[in-house]
Amino acid sequence: MLTIEPQPIAAMIEHGRACFPRECCGIMLGNEAADGARTITEAIACRNVYEGDQKDRFQLDVKDILDAERSARARGISLLGFFHSHPDEEAYFSATDLKNSAPGYSNVVMSIRAGEFAYAKSFIADFAQTHAEPEELQYA
Amino acid sequence: MPKILIPTPLRQFVDKKDTVDVAGASVGEVLSALTTQYPDLRKNLYSDEGKLRSFVNVYVNDEDIRYLAKDKTEVKDSDTISIVPSIAGGGR
Repeated sequence: MLTIEPQPIAAMIEHGRACFPRECCGIMLGNEAADGARTITEAIACRNVYEGDQKDRFQLDVKDILDAERSARARGISLLGFFHSHPDEEAYFSATDLKNSAPGYSNVVMSIRAGEFAYAKSFIADFAQTHAEPEELQYA
Repeated sequence: MPKILIPTPLRQFVDKKDTVDVAGASVGEVLSALTTQYPDLRKNLYSDEGKLRSFVNVYVNDEDIRYLAKDKTEVKDSDTISIVPSIAGGGR
């Protein structure tokens, strides 16, 4: 179960709208309960560093992920996942997403239609990176 | 001993710790000691061929070991080793 608090989901949606018709990407920080339930309290809008047509591709800068990990630890929270948008597409976890993911993190995909947020879904890749399981997602 | 920062999804393999101190003089030695101490971690970091999996980046302090001496990169007791994922993808 992944819950995204109002402020971070608003930041994620704004990033998706601002980047349209290109894919946006970013990092999610928060807390993980003993039962595995995750709550996102902060979203970091990042640069898409994919070198090529970004309308259907994204890449996060590894240095941004390192910085986010340090920032989270310094404040007693955790780096729990990543988000990106699919402009004028459904919010599915594509074969490209799976191949270029890292197991165990929450991956929120937002469908942005004609520049406006439609809906989001979340997925977690298994440790063999052969399958991504949909994750129950709640956001305001 | 050098300190290894464990990413959230991998903490389940290291007794839920977020940091592990492991002895070693190089990145290779430290990661080998880490995965000997926590064998379940090994398949999550290394491929069957014994190479770091494609999504695994290793930093010593602020430096990516691919631009240093890779697994032969020397480490000191005061160094912090980070395991950082690569993340990319897209609708196509």
